[in-house]
Amino acid sequence: MYALKILAKQYLRFTITIFGVALCLMLMLFLLAIYYGVSDASVRYVRESDADIWVMQRHAANLLRGTSLLTSSHGSVISQVPGVKSIAPVLFFTATVNVPDNTASMHLVGYDPRTGKGGPPEIVKGDTLRNDDQIILDYAFAAKYRIKIGDKLPIRDDTLTVAGLSEGTNLFVIQFAFITLDEARKLLGFPSVLSCYQVKIEPGSDPLSVAKNIRSVSPDFAVYDRLTFLNNNIHEAETGVMPLLYVVALIGAIVLTALLSLILSVYVLEQQKDYAIMKALGAPAGFIPRIVVQQSLILAAGGMVIAILLFDLMLNAVKRFSPTISAESSVRQILIVAAGLLVISLLSSILPLLRQRHIYPLEVFR
Amino acid sequence: MIRDSNIFPAELIKVTKVFSRSGNETVALSNVSFRVSQGELVLLLGPSGSGKTTLLTLLAGFQEPSQGEAYIFGKRVQDYSPSALQKIRACQMGFIFQTFCLLDSLRVLDNVTLVMKFAGIPEKTARRHAGECLERFGIGHLSNEYPGKLSQGEKQRVAVARAIANGSSMILADEPTGSLATEQGMAIIEYLHESVRKDGIGVVIASHDDRISKFADRVHHLRDGILI
Repeated sequence: MYALKILAKQYLRFTITIFGVALCLMLMLFLLAIYYGVSDASVRYVRESDADIWVMQRHAANLLRGTSLLTSSHGSVISQVPGVKSIAPVLFFTATVNVPDNTASMHLVGYDPRTGKGGPPEIVKGDTLRNDDQIILDYAFAAKYRIKIGDKLPIRDDTLTVAGLSEGTNLFVIQFAFITLDEARKLLGFPSVLSCYQVKIEPGSDPLSVAKNIRSVSPDFAVYDRLTFLNNNIHEAETGVMPLLYVVALIGAIVLTALLSLILSVYVLEQQKDYAIMKALGAPAGFIPRIVVQQSLILAAGGMVIAILLFDLMLNAVKRFSPTISAESSVRQILIVAAGLLVISLLSSILPLLRQRHIYPLEVFR
Repeated sequence: MIRDSNIFPAELIKVTKVFSRSGNETVALSNVSFRVSQGELVLLLGPSGSGKTTLLTLLAGFQEPSQGEAYIFGKRVQDYSPSALQKIRACQMGFIFQTFCLLDSLRVLDNVTLVMKFAGIPEKTARRHAGECLERFGIGHLSNEYPGKLSQGEKQRVAVARAIANGSSMILADEPTGSLATEQGMAIIEYLHESVRKDGIGVVIASHDDRISKFADRVHHLRDGILI
Protein backbone atom coordinates (compact mmCIF):
# COMPACT_ATOMS: atom_id res chain seq x y z
CA MET A 1 0.00 0.00 0.00
CA TYR A 2 1.48 3.31 -1.14
CA ALA A 3 0.17 5.21 1.91
CA LEU A 4 1.97 2.85 4.29
CA LYS A 5 5.16 2.90 2.21
CA ILE A 6 5.35 6.68 2.49
CA LEU A 7 4.82 6.49 6.24
CA ALA A 8 7.30 3.68 6.77
CA LYS A 9 10.00 5.46 4.77
CA GLN A 10 10.60 7.72 7.80
CA TYR A 11 10.23 4.93 10.32
CA LEU A 12 11.45 6.93 13.35
CA ARG A 13 8.89 9.66 12.74
CA PHE A 14 6.28 7.01 12.02
CA THR A 15 7.02 5.30 15.35
CA ILE A 16 7.02 8.55 17.33
CA THR A 17 3.73 9.61 15.73
CA ILE A 18 2.10 6.27 16.51
CA PHE A 19 3.20 6.58 20.14
CA GLY A 20 2.01 10.19 20.27
CA VAL A 21 -1.39 9.10 19.04
CA ALA A 22 -1.35 6.20 21.50
CA LEU A 23 -0.62 8.50 24.45
CA CYS A 24 -3.52 10.80 23.55
CA LEU A 25 -5.80 7.79 23.20
CA MET A 26 -4.59 6.37 26.51
CA LEU A 27 -5.51 9.66 28.16
CA MET A 28 -9.00 9.44 26.66
CA LEU A 29 -9.39 5.78 27.59
CA PHE A 30 -8.19 6.47 31.11
CA LEU A 31 -10.54 9.39 31.64
CA LEU A 32 -13.44 7.30 30.34
CA ALA A 33 -12.44 4.49 32.68
CA ILE A 34 -12.42 6.90 35.62
CA TYR A 35 -15.74 8.33 34.53
CA TYR A 36 -17.42 4.95 34.44
CA GLY A 37 -15.54 3.67 37.50
CA VAL A 38 -16.53 6.63 39.64
CA SER A 39 -20.06 6.81 38.27
CA ASP A 40 -20.56 3.17 39.12
CA ALA A 41 -18.89 3.28 42.53
CA SER A 42 -20.74 6.45 43.53
CA VAL A 43 -24.11 4.82 43.24
CA ARG A 44 -23.30 1.21 43.98
CA TYR A 45 -24.31 1.65 47.63
CA VAL A 46 -27.76 2.79 46.53
CA ARG A 47 -28.03 0.34 43.64
CA GLU A 48 -27.25 -2.70 45.77
CA SER A 49 -29.46 -1.70 48.67
CA ASP A 50 -32.64 -3.80 48.90
CA ALA A 51 -34.71 -0.79 50.02
CA ASP A 52 -37.92 -0.24 48.08
CA ILE A 53 -38.31 3.34 49.27
CA TRP A 54 -35.92 5.95 50.63
CA VAL A 55 -37.22 8.53 53.08
CA MET A 56 -35.14 11.65 53.69
CA GLN A 57 -35.64 15.11 55.06
CA ARG A 58 -37.64 17.47 52.89
CA HIS A 59 -35.58 18.92 49.99
CA ALA A 60 -32.88 16.27 50.26
CA ALA A 61 -32.62 14.27 47.03
CA ASN A 62 -29.50 12.14 47.14
CA LEU A 63 -26.79 10.73 49.35
CA LEU A 64 -23.80 12.23 47.63
CA ARG A 65 -24.34 15.90 48.30
CA GLY A 66 -26.94 17.43 50.55
CA THR A 67 -27.92 17.12 54.16
CA SER A 68 -30.82 15.15 55.53
CA LEU A 69 -31.69 15.07 59.21
CA LEU A 70 -34.54 13.02 60.67
CA THR A 71 -35.28 11.70 64.15
CA SER A 72 -36.23 8.34 65.60
CA SER A 73 -39.80 9.59 66.09
CA HIS A 74 -40.13 9.93 62.33
CA GLY A 75 -39.46 6.21 62.15
CA SER A 76 -42.48 5.50 64.31
CA VAL A 77 -44.67 7.52 61.95
CA ILE A 78 -43.34 5.77 58.84
CA SER A 79 -43.79 2.32 60.36
CA GLN A 80 -47.52 3.04 60.79
CA VAL A 81 -48.05 3.73 57.08
CA PRO A 82 -50.02 0.96 55.32
CA GLY A 83 -47.84 -1.19 53.08
CA VAL A 84 -44.63 -0.58 55.05
CA LYS A 85 -43.09 -3.86 56.18
CA SER A 86 -39.89 -2.66 57.87
CA ILE A 87 -37.66 0.38 58.15
CA ALA A 88 -33.90 0.67 58.58
CA PRO A 89 -32.44 3.91 59.94
CA VAL A 90 -29.13 5.06 58.51
CA LEU A 91 -26.98 8.02 59.55
CA PHE A 92 -24.44 9.67 57.22
CA PHE A 93 -21.87 12.30 58.12
CA THR A 94 -18.39 13.29 57.08
CA ALA A 95 -15.58 12.92 59.61
CA THR A 96 -11.87 13.48 59.69
CA VAL A 97 -9.81 10.56 60.93
CA ASN A 98 -6.20 10.21 61.91
CA VAL A 99 -4.43 7.88 59.55
CA PRO A 100 -0.73 7.00 59.82
CA ASP A 101 1.26 10.25 59.36
CA ASN A 102 -1.79 12.08 58.07
CA THR A 103 -5.46 12.94 58.41
CA ALA A 104 -8.17 11.97 55.97
CA SER A 105 -11.87 12.55 55.46
CA MET A 106 -14.39 9.78 55.12
CA HIS A 107 -18.10 9.54 54.71
CA LEU A 108 -19.24 7.63 57.80
CA VAL A 109 -22.33 5.47 57.52
CA GLY A 110 -24.04 4.39 60.72
CA TYR A 111 -26.32 1.37 60.34
CA ASP A 112 -27.77 -1.45 62.37
CA PRO A 113 -25.40 -4.42 61.92
CA ARG A 114 -28.06 -6.82 63.29
CA THR A 115 -30.22 -6.32 60.19
CA GLY A 116 -27.36 -5.38 57.89
CA LYS A 117 -29.64 -2.85 56.17
CA GLY A 118 -27.69 0.22 55.09
CA GLY A 119 -24.39 -1.61 55.44
CA PRO A 120 -21.59 -2.02 52.88
CA PRO A 121 -22.62 -3.55 49.53
CA GLU A 122 -19.69 -6.00 49.57
CA ILE A 123 -17.11 -6.95 52.18
CA VAL A 124 -14.00 -8.18 50.39
CA LYS A 125 -11.80 -8.76 53.41
CA GLY A 126 -12.42 -9.28 57.13
CA ASP A 127 -15.84 -9.40 58.71
CA THR A 128 -18.99 -7.37 59.33
CA LEU A 129 -19.41 -5.27 62.47
CA ARG A 130 -19.81 -7.09 65.78
CA ASN A 131 -19.33 -4.23 68.23
CA ASP A 132 -19.65 -0.47 68.43
CA ASP A 133 -15.86 -0.05 68.53
CA GLN A 134 -15.38 -1.49 65.04
CA ILE A 135 -15.27 0.09 61.60
CA ILE A 136 -15.38 -1.20 58.02
CA LEU A 137 -13.21 0.83 55.65
CA ASP A 138 -13.32 1.18 51.91
CA TYR A 139 -10.71 -1.14 50.35
CA ALA A 140 -9.10 1.67 48.31
CA PHE A 141 -8.97 3.97 51.35
CA ALA A 142 -7.26 1.27 53.42
CA ALA A 143 -4.81 0.52 50.64
CA LYS A 144 -3.96 4.18 50.17
CA TYR A 145 -3.15 4.69 53.85
CA ARG A 146 -1.76 1.18 54.34
CA ILE A 147 -4.34 0.32 57.00
CA LYS A 148 -4.84 -3.35 57.79
CA ILE A 149 -7.60 -5.29 59.51
CA GLY A 150 -7.13 -5.04 63.24
CA ASP A 151 -5.48 -1.60 63.08
CA LYS A 152 -6.76 1.09 65.43
CA LEU A 153 -8.21 4.25 63.90
CA PRO A 154 -8.75 7.36 66.05
CA ILE A 155 -11.95 9.18 65.07
CA ARG A 156 -12.91 12.28 67.04
CA ASP A 157 -12.92 11.20 70.72
CA ASP A 158 -13.00 7.50 70.00
CA THR A 159 -10.74 4.82 68.62
CA LEU A 160 -12.19 2.14 66.36
CA THR A 161 -10.75 -1.16 65.23
CA VAL A 162 -10.80 -2.04 61.54
CA ALA A 163 -13.03 -5.12 61.20
CA GLY A 164 -13.35 -5.40 57.45
CA LEU A 165 -12.79 -3.84 54.03
CA SER A 166 -15.55 -3.07 51.56
CA GLU A 167 -15.80 -2.44 47.81
CA GLY A 168 -18.27 -0.36 45.81
CA THR A 169 -17.83 2.37 48.40
CA ASN A 170 -15.28 4.60 46.67
CA LEU A 171 -16.73 7.93 45.54
CA PHE A 172 -13.37 9.07 44.09
CA VAL A 173 -13.21 12.31 46.12
CA ILE A 174 -14.22 10.57 49.35
CA GLN A 175 -14.86 7.02 50.54
CA PHE A 176 -17.58 5.42 52.65
CA ALA A 177 -16.75 3.84 56.04
CA PHE A 178 -19.26 1.86 58.11
CA ILE A 179 -19.87 1.91 61.84
CA THR A 180 -22.80 0.97 64.05
CA LEU A 181 -25.69 3.42 64.25
CA ASP A 182 -25.16 3.82 67.99
CA GLU A 183 -21.48 4.61 67.51
CA ALA A 184 -22.34 7.07 64.75
CA ARG A 185 -24.80 8.90 66.99
CA LYS A 186 -22.25 8.91 69.79
CA LEU A 187 -19.55 10.40 67.55
CA LEU A 188 -21.95 13.00 66.21
CA GLY A 189 -23.27 13.87 69.68
CA PHE A 190 -27.00 13.63 68.86
CA PRO A 191 -28.52 10.43 70.24
CA SER A 192 -31.71 10.24 68.17
CA VAL A 193 -30.65 11.79 64.90
CA LEU A 194 -30.39 9.95 61.56
CA SER A 195 -30.23 10.78 57.87
CA CYS A 196 -32.70 8.51 56.17
CA TYR A 197 -34.88 5.49 56.42
CA GLN A 198 -34.61 2.59 54.03
CA VAL A 199 -38.09 1.17 53.74
CA LYS A 200 -39.13 -2.35 52.73
CA ILE A 201 -42.72 -2.69 51.65
CA GLU A 202 -45.16 -5.55 52.08
CA PRO A 203 -45.09 -8.09 49.27
CA GLY A 204 -47.65 -7.13 46.60
CA SER A 205 -47.72 -3.47 47.62
CA ASP A 206 -47.10 -0.80 45.01
CA PRO A 207 -43.96 1.21 45.95
CA LEU A 208 -45.31 4.36 44.32
CA SER A 209 -48.54 4.16 46.33
CA VAL A 210 -46.70 3.45 49.58
CA ALA A 211 -44.33 6.35 48.85
CA LYS A 212 -47.34 8.59 48.29
CA ASN A 213 -48.83 7.43 51.60
CA ILE A 214 -45.59 8.20 53.47
CA ARG A 215 -45.42 11.62 51.84
CA SER A 216 -48.96 12.32 53.01
CA VAL A 217 -48.30 11.65 56.69
CA SER A 218 -45.67 14.34 57.12
CA PRO A 219 -44.54 17.38 55.16
CA ASP A 220 -41.04 16.81 56.60
CA PHE A 221 -40.35 13.92 54.28
CA ALA A 222 -38.81 13.62 50.84
CA VAL A 223 -39.85 10.15 49.68
CA TYR A 224 -38.38 8.35 46.69
CA ASP A 225 -39.00 4.99 45.13
CA ARG A 226 -35.90 2.92 44.43
CA LEU A 227 -35.42 3.89 40.77
CA THR A 228 -35.99 7.61 41.28
CA PHE A 229 -33.54 7.71 44.14
CA LEU A 230 -30.95 5.79 42.13
CA ASN A 231 -31.35 8.20 39.22
CA ASN A 232 -31.03 11.17 41.58
CA ASN A 233 -27.69 9.83 42.77
CA ILE A 234 -26.47 8.97 39.26
CA HIS A 235 -27.38 12.48 38.14
CA GLU A 236 -25.52 13.96 41.09
CA ALA A 237 -22.45 11.83 40.40
CA GLU A 238 -22.40 12.75 36.72
CA THR A 239 -22.84 16.48 37.28
CA GLY A 240 -20.13 16.73 39.92
CA VAL A 241 -16.50 16.48 38.93
CA MET A 242 -17.37 14.18 36.03
CA PRO A 243 -17.88 16.90 33.38
CA LEU A 244 -14.32 18.00 34.05
CA LEU A 245 -13.15 14.61 32.81
CA TYR A 246 -15.07 15.15 29.60
CA VAL A 247 -13.43 18.56 29.15
CA VAL A 248 -9.96 17.04 29.62
CA ALA A 249 -10.85 14.22 27.21
CA LEU A 250 -12.07 16.80 24.71
CA ILE A 251 -8.80 18.73 25.03
CA GLY A 252 -6.97 15.43 24.42
CA ALA A 253 -9.04 14.87 21.29
CA ILE A 254 -8.29 18.39 20.02
CA VAL A 255 -4.55 17.91 20.65
CA LEU A 256 -4.70 14.58 18.82
CA THR A 257 -6.51 16.16 15.86
CA ALA A 258 -3.90 18.92 15.68
CA LEU A 259 -1.04 16.43 15.97
CA LEU A 260 -2.37 14.18 13.22
CA SER A 261 -3.23 17.11 11.00
CA LEU A 262 0.27 18.54 11.36
CA ILE A 263 2.00 15.24 10.67
CA LEU A 264 -0.19 14.51 7.64
CA SER A 265 0.47 18.00 6.30
CA VAL A 266 4.21 17.39 6.62
CA TYR A 267 3.83 14.15 4.66
CA VAL A 268 1.89 15.99 1.93
CA LEU A 269 4.60 18.65 1.70
CA GLU A 270 7.31 16.00 1.51
CA GLN A 271 5.42 14.09 -1.17
CA GLN A 272 4.58 17.23 -3.11
CA LYS A 273 6.74 16.26 -6.08
CA ASP A 274 5.45 12.68 -6.15
CA TYR A 275 1.85 13.87 -5.98
CA ALA A 276 2.52 16.34 -8.81
CA ILE A 277 3.97 13.46 -10.87
CA MET A 278 0.90 11.33 -10.15
CA LYS A 279 -1.43 14.13 -11.16
CA ALA A 280 0.58 14.66 -14.36
CA LEU A 281 0.39 10.95 -15.15
CA GLY A 282 -3.39 11.01 -14.83
CA ALA A 283 -4.12 10.00 -11.24
CA PRO A 284 -7.91 10.01 -10.71
CA ALA A 285 -9.24 12.86 -8.58
CA GLY A 286 -9.73 10.67 -5.51
CA PHE A 287 -6.39 8.85 -5.67
CA ILE A 288 -4.22 11.24 -3.65
CA PRO A 289 -6.96 12.18 -1.15
CA ARG A 290 -7.38 8.46 -0.55
CA ILE A 291 -3.67 8.17 0.26
CA VAL A 292 -3.95 11.01 2.78
CA VAL A 293 -7.01 9.50 4.47
CA GLN A 294 -5.39 6.05 4.47
CA GLN A 295 -2.31 7.53 6.16
CA SER A 296 -4.50 9.13 8.78
CA LEU A 297 -6.32 5.85 9.41
CA ILE A 298 -3.05 3.88 9.56
CA LEU A 299 -1.61 6.26 12.17
CA ALA A 300 -4.86 6.18 14.12
CA ALA A 301 -5.20 2.40 13.99
CA GLY A 302 -1.55 1.88 14.96
CA GLY A 303 -1.97 4.30 17.85
CA MET A 304 -5.16 2.55 18.96
CA VAL A 305 -3.49 -0.86 19.09
CA ILE A 306 -0.55 0.49 21.12
CA ALA A 307 -2.93 2.46 23.36
CA ILE A 308 -5.00 -0.63 24.19
CA LEU A 309 -1.87 -2.60 25.04
CA LEU A 310 -0.44 0.17 27.23
CA PHE A 311 -3.80 1.03 28.76
CA ASP A 312 -4.06 -2.37 30.40
CA LEU A 313 -0.62 -1.91 31.97
CA MET A 314 -1.54 1.60 33.04
CA LEU A 315 -4.77 0.49 34.73
CA ASN A 316 -2.90 -2.12 36.73
CA ALA A 317 -0.28 0.44 37.73
CA VAL A 318 -2.96 2.93 38.81
CA LYS A 319 -4.78 0.31 40.86
CA ARG A 320 -1.50 -0.53 42.55
CA PHE A 321 -0.07 2.93 43.19
CA SER A 322 -3.24 5.01 43.50
CA PRO A 323 -5.97 2.67 44.73
CA THR A 324 -8.52 5.41 45.50
CA ILE A 325 -8.92 6.05 41.78
CA SER A 326 -11.85 3.96 40.63
CA ALA A 327 -11.29 3.00 37.01
CA GLU A 328 -13.44 0.56 35.06
CA SER A 329 -12.59 -0.43 31.52
CA SER A 330 -14.84 -2.22 29.08
CA VAL A 331 -15.06 -3.12 25.40
CA ARG A 332 -17.80 -0.49 25.09
CA GLN A 333 -15.41 2.26 26.21
CA ILE A 334 -12.79 1.10 23.70
CA LEU A 335 -15.42 1.16 20.97
CA ILE A 336 -16.46 4.69 21.99
CA VAL A 337 -12.84 5.88 21.78
CA ALA A 338 -12.36 4.03 18.47
CA ALA A 339 -15.44 5.74 17.05
CA GLY A 340 -14.14 9.10 18.29
CA LEU A 341 -10.77 8.31 16.76
CA LEU A 342 -12.36 7.63 13.40
CA VAL A 343 -13.94 11.08 13.50
CA ILE A 344 -10.63 12.61 14.60
CA SER A 345 -8.82 10.86 11.72
CA LEU A 346 -11.23 12.24 9.18
CA LEU A 347 -11.14 15.73 10.68
CA SER A 348 -7.36 15.76 10.78
CA SER A 349 -7.27 14.85 7.08
CA ILE A 350 -9.08 18.03 6.08
CA LEU A 351 -6.08 20.39 6.21
CA PRO A 352 -3.68 18.08 4.32
CA LEU A 353 -6.44 17.34 1.81
CA LEU A 354 -6.83 21.05 1.15
CA ARG A 355 -3.05 21.34 0.88
CA GLN A 356 -2.78 18.60 -1.73
CA ARG A 357 -5.42 20.34 -3.85
CA HIS A 358 -2.86 23.07 -4.45
CA ILE A 359 -0.31 20.69 -5.90
CA TYR A 360 -0.36 21.10 -9.66
CA PRO A 361 0.91 18.69 -12.32
CA LEU A 362 2.72 21.59 -13.99
CA GLU A 363 5.20 21.55 -11.10
CA VAL A 364 6.76 18.47 -12.71
CA PHE A 365 7.72 20.47 -15.78
CA ARG A 366 9.66 23.10 -13.84
CA MET B 1 -7.70 3.54 -27.38
CA ILE B 2 -8.02 6.00 -30.25
CA ARG B 3 -6.12 4.88 -33.36
CA ASP B 4 -8.06 6.84 -35.96
CA SER B 5 -5.50 8.25 -38.35
CA ASN B 6 -7.82 11.12 -39.26
CA ILE B 7 -7.74 12.47 -35.71
CA PHE B 8 -4.58 14.11 -34.48
CA PRO B 9 -3.72 13.20 -30.89
CA ALA B 10 -2.99 16.87 -30.28
CA GLU B 11 -3.22 20.01 -32.34
CA LEU B 12 -2.67 23.71 -31.70
CA ILE B 13 -4.15 26.29 -34.06
CA LYS B 14 -2.79 29.84 -33.90
CA VAL B 15 -2.18 29.52 -30.20
CA THR B 16 -0.82 32.33 -28.08
CA LYS B 17 0.00 31.80 -24.44
CA VAL B 18 0.54 34.78 -22.17
CA PHE B 19 1.54 34.57 -18.52
CA SER B 20 0.74 37.43 -16.16
CA ARG B 21 2.71 37.93 -13.00
CA SER B 22 2.56 41.03 -10.81
CA GLY B 23 1.01 43.00 -13.63
CA ASN B 24 3.75 42.03 -16.10
CA GLU B 25 2.77 39.98 -19.10
CA THR B 26 5.11 37.47 -20.69
CA VAL B 27 4.33 35.96 -24.07
CA ALA B 28 5.45 32.33 -23.90
CA LEU B 29 4.01 31.29 -27.27
CA SER B 30 2.90 33.50 -30.10
CA ASN B 31 0.52 32.41 -32.86
CA VAL B 32 1.76 28.83 -32.89
CA SER B 33 0.14 26.16 -35.02
CA PHE B 34 1.37 22.65 -34.41
CA ARG B 35 0.10 19.13 -34.58
CA VAL B 36 1.31 15.64 -33.96
CA SER B 37 0.11 12.57 -35.83
CA GLN B 38 0.26 8.97 -34.77
CA GLY B 39 3.33 7.11 -35.93
CA GLU B 40 5.58 10.14 -36.19
CA LEU B 41 8.32 11.57 -34.03
CA VAL B 42 8.32 15.35 -33.92
CA LEU B 43 11.23 17.28 -32.46
CA LEU B 44 10.78 20.73 -30.96
CA LEU B 45 14.19 22.36 -30.91
CA GLY B 46 14.93 25.51 -29.03
CA PRO B 47 17.01 27.05 -26.27
CA SER B 48 15.86 27.38 -22.67
CA GLY B 49 12.94 29.77 -22.32
CA SER B 50 11.88 29.45 -25.94
CA GLY B 51 8.46 28.03 -24.98
CA LYS B 52 9.03 24.30 -25.60
CA THR B 53 7.68 23.15 -22.25
CA THR B 54 4.71 25.50 -22.50
CA LEU B 55 3.88 23.99 -25.87
CA LEU B 56 4.05 20.46 -24.40
CA THR B 57 1.79 21.38 -21.49
CA LEU B 58 -0.73 22.84 -23.93
CA LEU B 59 -0.62 19.63 -25.98
CA ALA B 60 -1.36 17.66 -22.78
CA GLY B 61 -4.17 19.98 -21.75
CA PHE B 62 -2.48 21.10 -18.54
CA GLN B 63 -3.11 24.69 -19.62
CA GLU B 64 -5.52 26.44 -21.92
CA PRO B 65 -4.36 28.84 -24.61
CA SER B 66 -4.79 32.59 -24.09
CA GLN B 67 -5.76 32.84 -27.74
CA GLY B 68 -6.31 30.27 -30.48
CA GLU B 69 -7.51 26.71 -30.17
CA ALA B 70 -5.98 23.60 -28.65
CA TYR B 71 -7.42 20.21 -29.58
CA ILE B 72 -6.82 16.87 -27.97
CA PHE B 73 -8.06 13.89 -29.97
CA GLY B 74 -10.20 16.20 -32.06
CA LYS B 75 -11.94 17.98 -29.19
CA ARG B 76 -11.29 21.45 -27.82
CA VAL B 77 -9.40 21.35 -24.53
CA GLN B 78 -11.96 23.69 -22.96
CA ASP B 79 -14.72 21.21 -23.80
CA TYR B 80 -13.19 18.48 -21.65
CA SER B 81 -14.11 18.21 -18.00
CA PRO B 82 -11.13 17.95 -15.60
CA SER B 83 -11.90 14.27 -15.00
CA ALA B 84 -12.15 13.58 -18.75
CA LEU B 85 -8.75 15.20 -19.28
CA GLN B 86 -7.34 13.13 -16.42
CA LYS B 87 -8.69 9.99 -18.07
CA ILE B 88 -7.23 10.99 -21.45
CA ARG B 89 -3.81 11.51 -19.85
CA ALA B 90 -4.03 8.23 -17.99
CA CYS B 91 -5.22 6.17 -20.97
CA GLN B 92 -3.89 7.92 -24.08
CA MET B 93 -0.79 9.87 -23.12
CA GLY B 94 2.65 8.97 -21.86
CA PHE B 95 5.08 11.42 -20.30
CA ILE B 96 8.84 11.44 -20.00
CA PHE B 97 10.33 14.17 -17.87
CA GLN B 98 13.83 15.57 -17.83
CA THR B 99 14.69 13.93 -14.50
CA PHE B 100 12.41 10.95 -15.30
CA CYS B 101 10.34 11.65 -12.17
CA LEU B 102 10.08 8.06 -11.00
CA LEU B 103 8.41 7.60 -7.61
CA ASP B 104 11.23 6.75 -5.23
CA SER B 105 9.02 5.05 -2.65
CA LEU B 106 7.72 2.53 -5.18
CA ARG B 107 9.59 -0.37 -6.75
CA VAL B 108 10.29 -0.25 -10.47
CA LEU B 109 7.42 -2.62 -11.29
CA ASP B 110 5.01 -0.56 -9.15
CA ASN B 111 6.11 2.64 -10.90
CA VAL B 112 5.04 1.17 -14.22
CA THR B 113 1.94 -0.52 -12.81
CA LEU B 114 0.70 2.71 -11.24
CA VAL B 115 -0.04 4.49 -14.55
CA MET B 116 -2.02 1.47 -15.70
CA LYS B 117 -4.01 1.56 -12.49
CA PHE B 118 -4.74 5.21 -13.24
CA ALA B 119 -6.01 4.03 -16.64
CA GLY B 120 -8.38 1.62 -14.91
CA ILE B 121 -6.52 -1.56 -15.84
CA PRO B 122 -7.05 -4.30 -13.23
CA GLU B 123 -4.08 -4.79 -10.87
CA LYS B 124 -3.23 -8.31 -12.00
CA THR B 125 -3.29 -7.45 -15.72
CA ALA B 126 -1.39 -4.24 -15.05
CA ARG B 127 1.40 -6.03 -13.20
CA ARG B 128 1.76 -8.65 -15.90
CA HIS B 129 1.86 -6.05 -18.66
CA ALA B 130 4.25 -3.84 -16.68
CA GLY B 131 6.59 -6.82 -16.36
CA GLU B 132 6.42 -7.36 -20.14
CA CYS B 133 7.23 -3.69 -20.79
CA LEU B 134 10.24 -3.84 -18.51
CA GLU B 135 11.41 -7.04 -20.23
CA ARG B 136 11.07 -5.33 -23.58
CA PHE B 137 13.57 -2.69 -22.50
CA GLY B 138 15.88 -5.26 -20.91
CA ILE B 139 15.26 -4.27 -17.31
CA GLY B 140 12.90 -7.02 -16.21
CA HIS B 141 15.45 -8.13 -13.62
CA LEU B 142 15.15 -4.73 -11.91
CA SER B 143 11.41 -5.04 -11.24
CA ASN B 144 11.82 -5.26 -7.48
CA GLU B 145 14.46 -2.56 -7.15
CA TYR B 146 13.75 0.95 -5.94
CA PRO B 147 14.58 3.79 -8.40
CA GLY B 148 17.18 5.14 -6.00
CA LYS B 149 19.35 2.11 -6.71
CA LEU B 150 19.21 2.42 -10.51
CA SER B 151 21.73 4.05 -12.83
CA GLN B 152 20.62 6.99 -14.98
CA GLY B 153 20.45 4.70 -18.01
CA GLU B 154 18.24 2.21 -16.18
CA LYS B 155 15.98 5.00 -14.96
CA GLN B 156 15.47 6.29 -18.49
CA ARG B 157 14.38 2.85 -19.65
CA VAL B 158 11.92 2.60 -16.76
CA ALA B 159 10.59 6.04 -17.72
CA VAL B 160 10.05 4.93 -21.33
CA ALA B 161 8.44 1.68 -20.18
CA ARG B 162 6.10 3.70 -17.97
CA ALA B 163 5.24 6.06 -20.84
CA ILE B 164 4.20 3.28 -23.23
CA ALA B 165 2.75 0.83 -20.68
CA ASN B 166 -0.82 2.17 -20.77
CA GLY B 167 -1.01 1.84 -24.57
CA SER B 168 -0.53 5.57 -25.17
CA SER B 169 -1.35 7.14 -28.51
CA MET B 170 1.00 10.02 -27.80
CA ILE B 171 4.15 10.47 -25.75
CA LEU B 172 5.33 13.90 -24.68
CA ALA B 173 8.98 14.04 -23.67
CA ASP B 174 10.44 17.13 -22.04
CA GLU B 175 14.24 17.30 -22.41
CA PRO B 176 14.55 13.51 -22.05
CA THR B 177 18.29 13.59 -22.73
CA GLY B 178 18.97 16.58 -20.51
CA SER B 179 20.33 14.71 -17.52
CA LEU B 180 22.09 11.97 -19.43
CA ALA B 181 25.51 11.36 -20.92
CA THR B 182 25.56 11.51 -24.73
CA GLU B 183 25.43 7.75 -25.27
CA GLN B 184 22.58 7.23 -22.81
CA GLY B 185 20.78 10.25 -24.21
CA MET B 186 20.75 8.78 -27.69
CA ALA B 187 19.63 5.43 -26.29
CA ILE B 188 16.39 6.87 -24.93
CA ILE B 189 15.66 8.52 -28.28
CA GLU B 190 16.21 5.15 -29.94
CA TYR B 191 13.69 3.58 -27.55
CA LEU B 192 11.16 6.27 -28.42
CA HIS B 193 11.90 5.92 -32.11
CA GLU B 194 11.31 2.19 -31.80
CA SER B 195 7.94 2.84 -30.12
CA VAL B 196 6.93 5.12 -32.99
CA ARG B 197 7.75 2.44 -35.52
CA LYS B 198 6.44 -0.59 -33.62
CA ASP B 199 3.42 0.83 -31.81
CA GLY B 200 2.45 3.71 -34.09
CA ILE B 201 2.67 6.18 -31.25
CA GLY B 202 2.96 9.90 -31.89
CA VAL B 203 5.95 11.29 -30.02
CA VAL B 204 6.80 14.93 -29.35
CA ILE B 205 10.25 15.63 -27.95
CA ALA B 206 11.10 19.06 -26.63
CA SER B 207 14.86 19.49 -26.52
CA HIS B 208 17.75 21.82 -27.15
CA ASP B 209 19.85 18.89 -28.42
CA ASP B 210 19.91 18.95 -32.24
CA ARG B 211 21.59 15.53 -32.44
CA ILE B 212 18.12 14.11 -32.01
CA SER B 213 17.14 15.56 -35.39
CA LYS B 214 18.27 12.47 -37.28
CA PHE B 215 15.55 10.40 -35.55
CA ALA B 216 12.77 12.91 -36.14
CA ASP B 217 10.16 12.81 -38.89
CA ARG B 218 9.70 16.55 -38.47
CA VAL B 219 11.80 19.16 -36.71
CA HIS B 220 10.41 22.49 -35.55
CA HIS B 221 12.46 25.32 -34.15
CA LEU B 222 11.09 27.49 -31.39
CA ARG B 223 12.59 30.84 -30.53
CA ASP B 224 11.06 33.36 -28.15
CA GLY B 225 7.70 31.62 -28.41
CA ILE B 226 7.60 31.68 -32.17
CA LEU B 227 7.60 28.47 -34.18
CA ILE B 228 10.00 28.71 -37.08
